[in-house]
Amino acid sequence: MALLSVRNLHARVGDKDILKGIDLEVGAGEVHAIMGPNGSGKSTLASVLAGRDAYEVTKGEVLLDGKPLLELAPEARAAEGVFLAFQYPVEIPGVGNLHFLRTALNAQRRVKGLEELDAMDFLQMAKEKSKLVQLDAAFMNRSVNEGFSGGEKKRNEIFQMAVLEPRLAILDETDSGLDIDALRTVAGGVNGLRSPQRAMVVITHYQRLLDYIVPDKVHVMAGGRIIRSGGRELALELEEKGYGWLGLQDGKAAATKGGEARR
Amino acid sequence: MTPGVTRYVDVASRFQARDATTPAWLQRVRQEGLAHFARLGLPTTRDEAWKYTNLSPIADGAFAPVVTAGSTAELSSVVARLALPGPRLVFVDGRLSPELSSVAGLPRGLTLKPLRDALVEDGALLEAELGQRALAAEQAFTALNAALLEDGAVLRLAPGALSEVPVQLIFLTRGDAPVLASPRILVVAGAGSEATLVETYASATGVSGQGFTNAVTEVTLGDNASLKHYRLQSEGDAAVHVGGLHVRQGRDSRFVSHNFAFGGVLARNEVNVTFAGEGGDATLNGLYVGRGTQHLDQRTALDHAVPRCTSRELYKGVLDDRARGTFHGLVKVRQDAQRTDSRQQNRNLLLSEHAQADTRPQLEILADDVKCAHGAVVGRLDAQALFYLRSRGIPRAEAERLLTYAFARELVDAVPEGPVRASVEGLLAPRLPGAPRTEVTA
Repeated sequence: MALLSVRNLHARVGDKDILKGIDLEVGAGEVHAIMGPNGSGKSTLASVLAGRDAYEVTKGEVLLDGKPLLELAPEARAAEGVFLAFQYPVEIPGVGNLHFLRTALNAQRRVKGLEELDAMDFLQMAKEKSKLVQLDAAFMNRSVNEGFSGGEKKRNEIFQMAVLEPRLAILDETDSGLDIDALRTVAGGVNGLRSPQRAMVVITHYQRLLDYIVPDKVHVMAGGRIIRSGGRELALELEEKGYGWLGLQDGKAAATKGGEARR
Repeated sequence: MTPGVTRYVDVASRFQARDATTPAWLQRVRQEGLAHFARLGLPTTRDEAWKYTNLSPIADGAFAPVVTAGSTAELSSVVARLALPGPRLVFVDGRLSPELSSVAGLPRGLTLKPLRDALVEDGALLEAELGQRALAAEQAFTALNAALLEDGAVLRLAPGALSEVPVQLIFLTRGDAPVLASPRILVVAGAGSEATLVETYASATGVSGQGFTNAVTEVTLGDNASLKHYRLQSEGDAAVHVGGLHVRQGRDSRFVSHNFAFGGVLARNEVNVTFAGEGGDATLNGLYVGRGTQHLDQRTALDHAVPRCTSRELYKGVLDDRARGTFHGLVKVRQDAQRTDSRQQNRNLLLSEHAQADTRPQLEILADDVKCAHGAVVGRLDAQALFYLRSRGIPRAEAERLLTYAFARELVDAVPEGPVRASVEGLLAPRLPGAPRTEVTA
């Protein structure tokens, strides 16, 4: 049984259909990349999986370890092991990074019937995990993402993932806005979290990230569907020939190559 | 006069008549207060300054002062919970409780006296100072307070006196009867002195008490003096609280007001600051947290009457259920007040559909070389932040509490770490459950 099964998923925002029948199976231990031009629905897929309520699922189902996911609230999905690394991590002034993360971890542990971690044990663990993405202790004590640079925000996302140890990690354009050093650090963190028990879905516009996080499978999305799936070579071919090769328009991406325009 | 006003006038007349040995000047202060109150009557929502605030909980005149605090020993555990380390005077139902008070450890250069003693011993000073900042002729509650003048405190700082220990005034209402408490506080800070004054208002019965507190504080800061003033108002949810803080700042003086309004079915708090000397600096911080049917009304006025003064103002409101919060902040920059630097902000967080916030920042600028900024916001919890927290596994209600406290804590964190902040946190915790019990630090 696949860890993640997405079957004929349709979703819309307002009266605009964005996902028009997504089918995707990701097994435990696998890393799948989803590529595609702007507006293809990649980030919508990530948001729908994590439970953002701006989107309405109109058809289809999503199973995590065989259990239906879509009826669950975002926090329940998280407790089931879903983790979304945000494309634009939210700044939350007044909520300390570590306090937030301990609250999250303990909420998940409560659902699982595990004992909550006290402040000292948590701190110990968090310090250990922060090494993975070289996140300085000073950042851990600041408000969530407040005043963080783009790279710091993305490292903070991976740090959270390391602490929460999800079953399914969805990385939404984790490479966007990162210079090469930051990209290496973040990718190193992600690679350190690859595990036979964990599945990852890596959403990216650029093949560059896939030089560092090598996927088992690559899917190309366009117009709300997956139009092509293959191995890693598909990403390389796409990089070489551009999205035009698949008959896709991607004017915006071509114009802003190296730094995707913010929505 | 409305029947309610007549009742208050009768009560005050009887109070004034009861003691024939009162010095003439004090008799005059009380009588003038009474005359002004009788003339002004209770404000109504037709008065611009009371537009948002309906005074019906006190309009029938049902509240009256008590003669003494009575036996207060049973309140010692309540006081212990509220007390800060340092000297304090404690009042119960508006009357001094000597047995709960303790002025031990008063730093050198500070004089702290119950008002009733000062009225006898320091007549000349009080005659000169009382009613100078808080004008009975202009506001009915100030007038009523003057008419019933008897208890309260006088804090004097000798020139150059420095105190790190906060001086605390605790005003407890028993909450079991419709008592009118009218404390008057007078602070006279000599040149170059520095001190911290904490006024704590609470109900002995916790959050359920009733009563009507009408407090007036007058502060005169000498040149280069510095006062941190805290007002921790956490009266019962059936109580009515009207507070006025009137400050006159001398040259290069610094004044910081932390105004926490958590209690009362109806609470009105006014802060009036006048810069009388150049180079003054005032910070007005306020946090009002309401739920149920609480009505919390804040009104501030900063009078930049002279050049080169700085004012910073941040008021935040958190309103749940059917609570209503109002903020009216006036910044007046007079023609001569060049190089005024003033910033004012009011932010309100509504937690329920039926909660309401009215915000009215008001700038009156007559000088041309000034920096003035103001802003006002009424909003709800940020949906993006809420989703972010929930996506990490934090249940919705808990995420909302976290974000709510995150909004409010800026004002808590503005209080320097120490016993006063701990006291604020302690009063806030039962009213805003998002407050973390322990902070994790690396």
